[in-house]
Amino acid sequence: MTPNLAFVYALSICLAGSLVTLLVSRWKPVVGWLAFLCVFSSSSLVIYAALTVLLSGAAPALTLFSLAGLGTCRLAIDGLSAILLLLIAVIAVLSSIYSVRYMVHYTEYGLGRYYPYFLLFVAGMYGIVVVTDLMVYFCAFWQLMTLPSYALVRFESKKQENVRAANRYLLMMELSCGLVMAGAGLLGSGSQPGALGRYEFDSLAANMSSVLSADSFTAIAALLLFLVGFGIKAGMWPFGQLWLPAAHPAAPSPVSALLSGVMIKTGVYGLMRSFLWLIPADDLASYPAAAWGLVIGVLGTATLFFGTIQALKQEESKRLLAFHSIGQVGYILLGLGACLALLPAASTSDSARVLAAMALAGALFHTINHGLFKSLLFLNAGSVLFATGTQSLNRIGGLFKFMPVTGVMTLIASFSIAGVPLFNGFASKWTIYVSTVLGSRTAPYLAVLALFAILTSAITLASFIKFFGSAFLSRTSQLVKQRLEEKKRLEVDWTMLVPQLVLASGCLVFGLFPQTALRLLKAGLATSEHGLGATLADGLPVSGGLAVAGPGGHALIVPFVLALVLVSMLLLARTLSRSGGSQRRVAIPWLCGYALESEANRYTAHGLYGEVKRYLRWAGGTARR
Amino acid sequence: MTESALWAIVTGVANVILVLAAAPFCEGIIRKVTARVQSRQGPPIWQPYLDILKLLGKEDIESGESPGLQRLSAYLSLAAVLTLAWFVPMGAAAPLTKAGDAILVIYLLTLCGVSTLLAGLAAGSTYSLFGVSREMMAMLTLEPLLAVGVIVGAVETGSLRLDDVLNASVYSLAAWPLAGILMLVVLLFSLQAFVGRVPFDTAEAETEIMEGPLIEYSGPKLGLFKYAQMSKLFVYCALLVGLFAPWGSQWPYPLALLVLLAKIGVLVLLITLVGATHARYRIDQAIRYYAALFVLSLVALTLALVGF
Repeated sequence: MTPNLAFVYALSICLAGSLVTLLVSRWKPVVGWLAFLCVFSSSSLVIYAALTVLLSGAAPALTLFSLAGLGTCRLAIDGLSAILLLLIAVIAVLSSIYSVRYMVHYTEYGLGRYYPYFLLFVAGMYGIVVVTDLMVYFCAFWQLMTLPSYALVRFESKKQENVRAANRYLLMMELSCGLVMAGAGLLGSGSQPGALGRYEFDSLAANMSSVLSADSFTAIAALLLFLVGFGIKAGMWPFGQLWLPAAHPAAPSPVSALLSGVMIKTGVYGLMRSFLWLIPADDLASYPAAAWGLVIGVLGTATLFFGTIQALKQEESKRLLAFHSIGQVGYILLGLGACLALLPAASTSDSARVLAAMALAGALFHTINHGLFKSLLFLNAGSVLFATGTQSLNRIGGLFKFMPVTGVMTLIASFSIAGVPLFNGFASKWTIYVSTVLGSRTAPYLAVLALFAILTSAITLASFIKFFGSAFLSRTSQLVKQRLEEKKRLEVDWTMLVPQLVLASGCLVFGLFPQTALRLLKAGLATSEHGLGATLADGLPVSGGLAVAGPGGHALIVPFVLALVLVSMLLLARTLSRSGGSQRRVAIPWLCGYALESEANRYTAHGLYGEVKRYLRWAGGTARR
Repeated sequence: MTESALWAIVTGVANVILVLAAAPFCEGIIRKVTARVQSRQGPPIWQPYLDILKLLGKEDIESGESPGLQRLSAYLSLAAVLTLAWFVPMGAAAPLTKAGDAILVIYLLTLCGVSTLLAGLAAGSTYSLFGVSREMMAMLTLEPLLAVGVIVGAVETGSLRLDDVLNASVYSLAAWPLAGILMLVVLLFSLQAFVGRVPFDTAEAETEIMEGPLIEYSGPKLGLFKYAQMSKLFVYCALLVGLFAPWGSQWPYPLALLVLLAKIGVLVLLITLVGATHARYRIDQAIRYYAALFVLSLVALTLALVGF
């Protein structure tokens, strides 16, 4: 079976599945598993297709059908698409397992408004990363992705704010679609339609040489349209703030996981395609890569800085996570920007070449990692919501005792996103830091951007200390006690835990063995079709061992060795603490001896970081209480 | 693998033993000198050793709702500092230069802070959460300072390798290293805050929130936290020495170690004198102070980038 064929089967399964789930949507115990079966089989096919491409090279594009006046619909899977497809497929399967039990608790809403859309949404995301046309069929797949997800965001349609969030989401996505199509129109309008359609990616790329040299204004305008269009999708500052923090928390949690973990990555994918793959490799001289690098790098830094600061102020679990999605996309954009900034020097200097490749690999690596840990975090928040019925971090506390597995998963995810060493977020952030700090020899401003990225990473840690600490540690809140009395058991079912376990182990594996991910990315870049991006594959340093190293060994980490040392030091500390033979005793905490604990003197999320929040009021991001 | 790995393990273990042995001594000096500055007699210099031994044997009261995490964070606090010791040159080259670079060192310092935060959260007392909030705010503003120090080193040497950034030319006297000197000033001014001493001990503030994150800890866990704090002071001073005053580190082993200890001694005295003569800042004052240092360090970074 060719990868293309497998992919078409996968799409058909999703489309057929949406029809079937619509028909049996009344049969609540079955419809969820049926949808899972559809997603699982289609994802298996997609994973098969993606791995085949990564191992044996891109397959020739497949013509699906031709419509008079609208051109031909072609699908092509290359290395870059394959990486995105892998991410989408894995998260979609996990999210659909999670949905089975999670969706049952919506007693007021029918599942006929969930599973059919879920399957269409997944199909739309699969399609958008492999479609080759940038006009009609791009729009078609974009709508296939957008409209069902719109329906999913407004799933709880009895809440006015969700409907408003969904409407705004729809508006921004249509705007984004329009801008991208306008950009493609601008680039394609002057060209002669060849054997392929005028707005085929390959035609646009072939046309790019003459546009870049003869009509640089058009090239700039078109790329700017792509930047804003895909930037809106990716959640780039200042556009992301307009829709993302409202839309992602409104959707049911498994869908939030897909929106944040995967869907916004299609914007990142679009940016990478248009800024690196659209430009033919021979045209580097006439392509102002350094200037675009500056623009995207600075925008990325603004995105990560503002997104994360605004996240720090949030007091609702899913809203906090949504703001962090903006922040983490900033890191990805910074990586992409650094790659562009270093590209002009890459042809002359070996070290700049390696750094440019590392910057791109870092961006892609962070794309994968963010997909893993952010989906995990949304599933964690979903489990907490499922157990307690609230998103407010001020009303929950002390859940670790009652939901230990979810607690450990949340801790892993929080450490991952905060960039604690040994977790995957550190590995990808490290790759981006190295390329920006060492890349400052070529483009000095990169070091300043790196500094802001490191600063922001500490803010991320602060925010997740709050998220994890106020939900799972601290003291048991009144609400949690009440829920415990009602339900007896707060920990969620195994069907909701398994996806979290899988994602958490993914975080740990990529954190301890980042070279496996880099090897995958190298294969992805090497099997991607044409363009500047594909030329960077051989610059990526991938050694056989456990180490990940920068150019000339001027930067390196071996997380596995670090883990060995840390574990042995932990054992040493444990031995030391046991050596005195002291006895343990349980007691209640001390409150000056006058008052007993009550809900009124419990320290909540709202109280944390007051001074910093006050000093950073200018950075925006209102919290809802 | 074999020979260099063996060497790394030997020097690493030596570093760990050195830290564990010398850290309480530094604490002893601090207490003694502080007392003399304040016209008190002060405890004997070996008192911190006895304190730790005593704490290891005392009853361990667990008042948090998640004792597992409380234990883990206590172990982690010491383990993180000792792991950091594997990346700092102490008399010989840093043991694990082949397993991590300067960026990793910055993040390992963060990990030391994370253990305190987890400890405070897991204890769950209102006071400990006050402390957590303050500790985190201090980390937020302090971590970038060290990051700038490392980045300036990386910009000047073109490398993030530990043995290049440490022990290298940040403080070279070939030309006037303006950026390096400015960073040295910034880091000396933030040293007090990094090791959590008066006037920047806002997170613990014994007289106000009763040791903040550690309020609910007793017995061996408190012993580990205290030991970790002492060790952090020692390791951090060694790191600063490696970053800015590495001269003498190439000398043969016992001599290089003595020079290092002497330099650490000077830093410890500096910390003691500042601590003994100042009163604690409020958290907002402290943050403004750090912010000013951050601006200065940005100036240093800019200087380094334009080639000074």
